[in-house]
Amino acid sequence: MKILESQSAVLTNFEVYEHLVDCKKRSKKTRQRLGPDNYESIVKGVKAWLETPPGPLSQKPITYTSSSIPTLFARLRPYDLSKGELSMILNLRPASVPALDTIIEDMGERFTEEQHEEIIAIIVEVLGRFEPAEEAEGEKGARENGGDVTMNEADQDGDGNAAS
Amino acid sequence: MFILTKIADLVQIAPSDFSKHSIGAIEHNINAKYANRVIQKIGLCICLYDLLWASEGLIGHGDGFVNVNVEFRMVVFRPFKGEVMLGRIRSATPEGINLRTEFFDDIFVPFEELPQGAEFSHSEQLWVWNFDDGERLFYDTHEIVRFQVIDEEWHDQTPAGPSQNDEEPQATAPYKIRGSMAREGLGVCLWWDT
Repeated sequence: MKILESQSAVLTNFEVYEHLVDCKKRSKKTRQRLGPDNYESIVKGVKAWLETPPGPLSQKPITYTSSSIPTLFARLRPYDLSKGELSMILNLRPASVPALDTIIEDMGERFTEEQHEEIIAIIVEVLGRFEPAEEAEGEKGARENGGDVTMNEADQDGDGNAAS
Repeated sequence: MFILTKIADLVQIAPSDFSKHSIGAIEHNINAKYANRVIQKIGLCICLYDLLWASEGLIGHGDGFVNVNVEFRMVVFRPFKGEVMLGRIRSATPEGINLRTEFFDDIFVPFEELPQGAEFSHSEQLWVWNFDDGERLFYDTHEIVRFQVIDEEWHDQTPAGPSQNDEEPQATAPYKIRGSMAREGLGVCLWWDT
């Protein structure tokens, strides 16, 4: 065995995830039996890990598409971020300025506060974000009132029972 | 977190696999040999990414194996120094916190790399972050944390010959990662995510 290039490319979690899903689909199509134990266990482990919240790939449906990566790079080009910082943004999808601060070196010196917010806004626009909790509750309220007769309306004497 | 490594190797296809398409047999062979194994100074191999080149198969004397020279790229897990990634707390000792991912178990955050005010609670066997105003945050087991990779350690597992003294060789993991949770924004994700 000879190592020709120890690091010929860097992959984001999304690209690895797509590749694993692809391999699984291909092996299903050819209806092959399970691969060797070490292979199956590591592939299962990596997939499960990438789908673990709060990782961005745990959001269903996945908000990343094949154009997410080039789009993000193009939008963030004016900020001159390093390759490592860009790949961390894709892997972690920071949704707040403190989270961005852990990824970007010397963020306070390189960018103004306005630019911090701009970068977060670009990330949310291109890569999406987790649904905030208030939205989910709002939807629940709308559903309750949309039904024919809710418990509250049916209960006329306030004793907790629908029948009077 | 992941990189691509280009490797050249010799794949031997057994006669029982001759019915498979060559690509399938070669892929199967490579995955069996490399998946979930650590290559020193390279990282933990996950799976084959793509096959770049394969030679014609040559059969040697004495056995029926078809020998194929191949060049391929492999997905390898090797976070770079300074990378921020997620981990799950496995256990805690007075020396620090052990983290793991679903596929990699040897991440260690020593106590020096925890924020100011962190102390080990012997009664609960976990680390606690104490604030001046009395508020306490717990590094609970099984919680997901964000940490930064500080350093990596390689331990060559090639077996040493029998030594003169009868001491048992220490079993250490071939690849260990040292992390830090000192910076603001690192630590249990629930503390920072709204």
